[in-house]
Amino acid sequence: MIIQYLKPILLFIPLAVIQLVIVPLISISNIAPNLIFILIAYFTLKQGQVYGTILGFILGFLLDIISGGLTGAFMFSFTLSAFVVGYFYGENKIDINISSYFLLFILFVCGSINSFLYAVISNSYSNVSLFFMMLEEGILPGLYTALFGLPIVIFHPKEGM
Amino acid sequence: MRKFLRRFVSDYKEYILLIFLSVISLTILAQNEKPAAKHLKTFALGNFAVINEIINSIVSILKSDESRDDLRNENAHLMLELNRLRKYKAENEELRSMIALKDTSKYPLIPVKIISKLVTKSQGNFIVNRGSNNEIRKGMPVINNKGLVGLIMDVTENYSVVQNLYNSNLSIAVTLQRINVNGILNYDGKNLIIKDVPTTYDVQIGDIIETSDFSSIFPPSIPIGIVSKKESNVLGLLHNLKVEPFVNIFAANNLFILKIIPSKQINQLEMNLIK
Repeated sequence: MIIQYLKPILLFIPLAVIQLVIVPLISISNIAPNLIFILIAYFTLKQGQVYGTILGFILGFLLDIISGGLTGAFMFSFTLSAFVVGYFYGENKIDINISSYFLLFILFVCGSINSFLYAVISNSYSNVSLFFMMLEEGILPGLYTALFGLPIVIFHPKEGM
Repeated sequence: MRKFLRRFVSDYKEYILLIFLSVISLTILAQNEKPAAKHLKTFALGNFAVINEIINSIVSILKSDESRDDLRNENAHLMLELNRLRKYKAENEELRSMIALKDTSKYPLIPVKIISKLVTKSQGNFIVNRGSNNEIRKGMPVINNKGLVGLIMDVTENYSVVQNLYNSNLSIAVTLQRINVNGILNYDGKNLIIKDVPTTYDVQIGDIIETSDFSSIFPPSIPIGIVSKKESNVLGLLHNLKVEPFVNIFAANNLFILKIIPSKQINQLEMNLIK
């Protein structure tokens, strides 16, 4: 069980460094892709909803404490969005989900939910309209995140497809 | 009953798990300012920032440093201005001594470099490469050559977390320089705004915003930005002022921390306001 979670946690460390050091350089007016969410979504689609929900919770906690942000915000948003990703999981659909462009759709939808939830929790002084929040803090980061899922679709070995 | 419960848990385990983990997340969110949570965060941050700093030093070799170019440009301007100011200095010192005015403009500056950024629309945070070993304390203001950048919110031995202007949790007491009107500057997730300024005040687009005399966290008269837009509320009695900051927060790389330790009691009151 622990070993099952060890691989994503080990992958989390370099990805978190990239997320905090390199991703800010490619952000467009504070809209940035979330590489940690891609990691969570990938493993959720491989291992299932329960696994993904727990993984989202653990990695969210780790990202919260190393990023200097609001502790609990990523934890909550990753847990919920990984749960939603889990709905796309199917034992017979693992390859279809990960190796096809459908992965980008999953990353876009669930990445948008993740960014939106994070914004709602962390923005304590919000007079911003719900539409603006959904667009700028949900859909646009979701799109950017989905774009970064492209290498997985291209380079992931396509077994039995 | 036991069988029913077992079946219930088995059928709805995903939902039970989700609710359980969500409740824990929200509880931790509510406990953010508790010492135990702070201690854990400080420990993790201090250790992980070492890796970030190493990677950042490699990355900074590869990327063109916008703020360095800005500093070079600024340097040339400053050289020209220096000569003019030397003349003014002599005159100023003479006048100051005449009215026995205490020179309040000299604060020690600690240069820092940003090693990582948390980029989201509502949580503008930097981690910088100096900490309590360099006498940095929570609540110290952070500036660069253009103006105010933010505030130190967490400190470890070698690293600190800076809450920048684009953080919805940061509220700053500000003054409109020209008409001396006070207000509170906040980030609403979209813009920096000063809310509820009476329309009877003659606020104009382009008016300079600076830190207020009333703030005990920030020294007075640190430039923040200019008024870029005025929006009246429904009744037309109050304005919301949109502020364009002088500092390009996204391009910032090298910052200074003003080594000011404010009055503990007032500071605590203001930090509570920020929370």
